[in-house]
Amino acid sequence: VLVLVRSPLPWLRALLQRSWGRLERGLWPGVFGGQSSPWGPALAVQGPALVPQGINDAGESSGEAPSLLEGVVWMAAPKHRRTIEVNRCRRRNPSKLIEIKRNIDVCPECGNLKQKHVLCGYCYAKVKEETRLIRMEIQKKEGGPFNAPVVETVVLYEGEKPTEKDEGKRIIERARKRPSWFVQN
Amino acid sequence: SGAVWARGLLSWARPERWLASGSLFPLSCIHTSTSLQKIGKWEKKNRIVYPPQLPGEPRRPAEIYHCRREIKYSNDKMWYLAKLIKGMSIDQALAQLEFSDKKGAKVIKEVLLEAQEMAVRKHNVEFKSNLHIAESQTGRGRYVKRMRCHGKGMFGMMKINRCHYFVKLVEGPPPPPEPPRTGFEQAKEYVQQLRNRTLVHTL
Repeated sequence: VLVLVRSPLPWLRALLQRSWGRLERGLWPGVFGGQSSPWGPALAVQGPALVPQGINDAGESSGEAPSLLEGVVWMAAPKHRRTIEVNRCRRRNPSKLIEIKRNIDVCPECGNLKQKHVLCGYCYAKVKEETRLIRMEIQKKEGGPFNAPVVETVVLYEGEKPTEKDEGKRIIERARKRPSWFVQN
Repeated sequence: SGAVWARGLLSWARPERWLASGSLFPLSCIHTSTSLQKIGKWEKKNRIVYPPQLPGEPRRPAEIYHCRREIKYSNDKMWYLAKLIKGMSIDQALAQLEFSDKKGAKVIKEVLLEAQEMAVRKHNVEFKSNLHIAESQTGRGRYVKRMRCHGKGMFGMMKINRCHYFVKLVEGPPPPPEPPRTGFEQAKEYVQQLRNRTLVHTL
């Protein structure tokens, strides 16, 4: 029991010293599997040298890394390898498969597919493109930032005249036929 | 003597010696590795030609095999999309893929559209909607290991995953899904198993 063990790693040595110290002080009652007298006659085992309390404190103050490693010993870790059969049962469980969507319809305007609660992607892209061209016309007319007029804007396509309702408004001309979805007034 | 030895060493490498003396192949026929490398098994499945059908036989439905190799996506993740698609008609599959948020959905949609195009142009399919997906599988592509740097000088090795996607379109409406096994059927099978028992090692 009193044989010196020179472990090459200082943190291991400090760990063993601390564990031995705990054993000595009876702070580890469960270690020997509940024998009646753990300190009775027993087989002599090689153990670390008994050290006075001073070195224990020095060991504890020398670094936090050993205390972290003490915690690591009792972390949860998988004991056995999960077989491919078990893995497949988990990965292919119906809850993990992709559900088929039942909310897909046909857009009445263009005939592409759309989700029921979402705008049709094709129609939206069409409107976005036309808006971009209108904005370019506006930019050309304004000629720079902060030149937006106070009055409303009206977009007129080929062959259209401003009506009496569009008296004081700014007119933006677009050089194409009016698209069917852009209703006038 | 060195030249003679070298010539003797390289003599086995001369291709004329490998061919039988009676063959008429010229040297230009020997395959050299091109940029296409190996043509995969799935691509070759489109080349099989069946003998003409007899007048009484039912019409054999057209089968179209298509695949895409080395897609930059994980094999496991692609498998879920392939499983979704299995057994659907091509229109339903395209609809599901269009509104799926996964990266592989876009790739599979392109593959299906290409296959549909091929079917109409080359494989004598009359209606492009009259196709269903008989098989849809994924395979693992070539993985590459790379270093992924963490803090404090630590690093881990990560795998860059690639996958292949294979699809087989067959002409005709999709087959009806199998009805789930009821308890009554299972009980009937059990009783049948009991009735099939015989006495062994007896007279």
